[in-house]
Amino acid sequence: MAHIELVDLTKHYRQGRNVVRALDGVSLRIGAGEFVSVVGRSGSGKTTLLDLIGLLLRPTSGTVLVDGDDTARLNDGQRADLRGQRIGFIFQEYNLLPALNVLENVMLPLRYTRSQVGNGRARALELLEAVGLGDRIKHRPDELSGGQQQRVAIARALVNRPAMVLGDEPTGSVDTQTSQELVGLMRGLNREEQVTFVIVTHDLELAGRADRMIRLKDGRLIADELVLHAA
Amino acid sequence: MEILRNLARRKLRSTLTILGIVIGIFALTTMGALAEHFNALINGGVKYFGASIQVGPPDGQAAILPLSKLDELKQVDGVDAVFPSYGFLANPGAVNVVNFNLPDQIVGSDPGESRYDVLNVHTAKGRNLSSESRGEVVLGSTMAVEFKKSVGDTIDLPVRPKDAKPDFVNHTFTVVGILAPTRTAPDNFAYVSIPDAQMLFKDTLPVAIRSTVDASKVASAFTVYGKPGTSLSELDAIAGRINEQVSGVKATKPSVLVNSFKSGGATFTAITTAAAILALVIGGLSVVNTMIMAVTERFREIGLKKAVGAHTGHVLREYLAESTLIGLLGGSIGYLLGVALTNLLNIAGRASNFELFLITPTLTAIALGFAVALGALSGVIPAFRAARLDPVLALRTTN
Repeated sequence: MAHIELVDLTKHYRQGRNVVRALDGVSLRIGAGEFVSVVGRSGSGKTTLLDLIGLLLRPTSGTVLVDGDDTARLNDGQRADLRGQRIGFIFQEYNLLPALNVLENVMLPLRYTRSQVGNGRARALELLEAVGLGDRIKHRPDELSGGQQQRVAIARALVNRPAMVLGDEPTGSVDTQTSQELVGLMRGLNREEQVTFVIVTHDLELAGRADRMIRLKDGRLIADELVLHAA
Repeated sequence: MEILRNLARRKLRSTLTILGIVIGIFALTTMGALAEHFNALINGGVKYFGASIQVGPPDGQAAILPLSKLDELKQVDGVDAVFPSYGFLANPGAVNVVNFNLPDQIVGSDPGESRYDVLNVHTAKGRNLSSESRGEVVLGSTMAVEFKKSVGDTIDLPVRPKDAKPDFVNHTFTVVGILAPTRTAPDNFAYVSIPDAQMLFKDTLPVAIRSTVDASKVASAFTVYGKPGTSLSELDAIAGRINEQVSGVKATKPSVLVNSFKSGGATFTAITTAAAILALVIGGLSVVNTMIMAVTERFREIGLKKAVGAHTGHVLREYLAESTLIGLLGGSIGYLLGVALTNLLNIAGRASNFELFLITPTLTAIALGFAVALGALSGVIPAFRAARLDPVLALRTTN
């Protein structure tokens, strides 16, 4: 479990002669075990924020602290290690490797991380059971539906027992019913595995089931509110 | 496994790429086997002619020398031994204008000469000739296969040509031994004793002078040896002294013969190597192309791997392994095809003294090593491109 602190986080891109302020001075603290959604229009900086938290991008200024550790000082290799050990990713397009079967896809992150969590295969099988694909472990990604592929991706994001899972529009490519199932699955895993989830989404249904909703506009944080759930 | 499945996913492209390497390594193997065959022949020549001095008639004279010159030659400083030599075609009907191998020859052999042998000539079956041998022959390995003879069989020498004249004569010899292959001249030799060689030599002389020559007193040439281990330059010096001190003969400096063998070999090796390398470069370019396409196609896979913790080095290794495997696969297939073809051609050619290929361990190592190195080298640039991809850009690529 980790808490993340963003301090005055800024990311500028140069686009021709213009400077695009993708993210402009965002400060934010996400506690361990939270389920946070990040919403905003296209171009509001949601994805940039997620890439910065996921250590895939370096900020123009400001820092990302993971459990109080400043990630700005880490080199690319150390950032890759930290990603491998503490962060799981879920993408809109699932991003499963077509040459690997379901089980191998879930175990992929174990290939690159030195400190392994016990028996990786057992962990992967346990997660595949949890996402309801225990009977599909030998299938190839192209033999699965979109929803099933995203379940595989969710299991992959958790295989290293990360402290946090970052989702980039994880329900963006599936129908409403599947979307609800996936959200339910992620909420359940958030509770059972005690993993922090930060989900970027357009999907208000998803956002409404988070504990907390962060709203961005033009790279700035314009709202940060707790979501009230009907009991 | 992932690599193999990635190759299997693009069957046509992978097949074509591997085929490129297959053709390259196949060319390298067959060309190389041809070069190795000639190099073995040439090395035999270099060794043999680098360890003895050939003494023949002066330029422009017929190859018939009085045996008495033998004693004169022995007097020359540095000469350890002198043997008369008699060499003539064993299979006169089979002489081609262009032949990639040495012609079959009948060679008169003195048992004492084996002490100076540098080619490791030894019998594989049967026994050697003795000084008392008459009507006996020891066949080189190629000769034995060519004429399908084994120890105990008889062979008429020289072999009667199909269109032989009525006055053609030959004699029946009993095969008493068969030599182990040397991969050079002795494989095509039929060794007979000196007296038998003199008898056969007489048959080769023109009818007009045949009756006037006492065959036991002539030789067609002499082979002169220094003490075993005498250097090439010393042998050259001995050859010089022979030319000064012994009249009516001409000694050829061994270095002249050795150099002409070497330069012939170098030209041949250069031509075959160049042809093979050309084929390989084309194969290599197809690997580069395939790997660049593989990297481009898999931008998102690379981005994902980096996101889940892969370092630059991991990605680099994975792509290098893939291109190296392509090289190894193509190389192994090409090499095996080359071995199969050269063996088939050798078997087909053996009966007519037309064995042209020699697969050596060196050639095997070069062919497979080249294939692997080619695959790896071709993968370097694409793999670096893959490894240095920015994960964010790679992940958001749509393809």
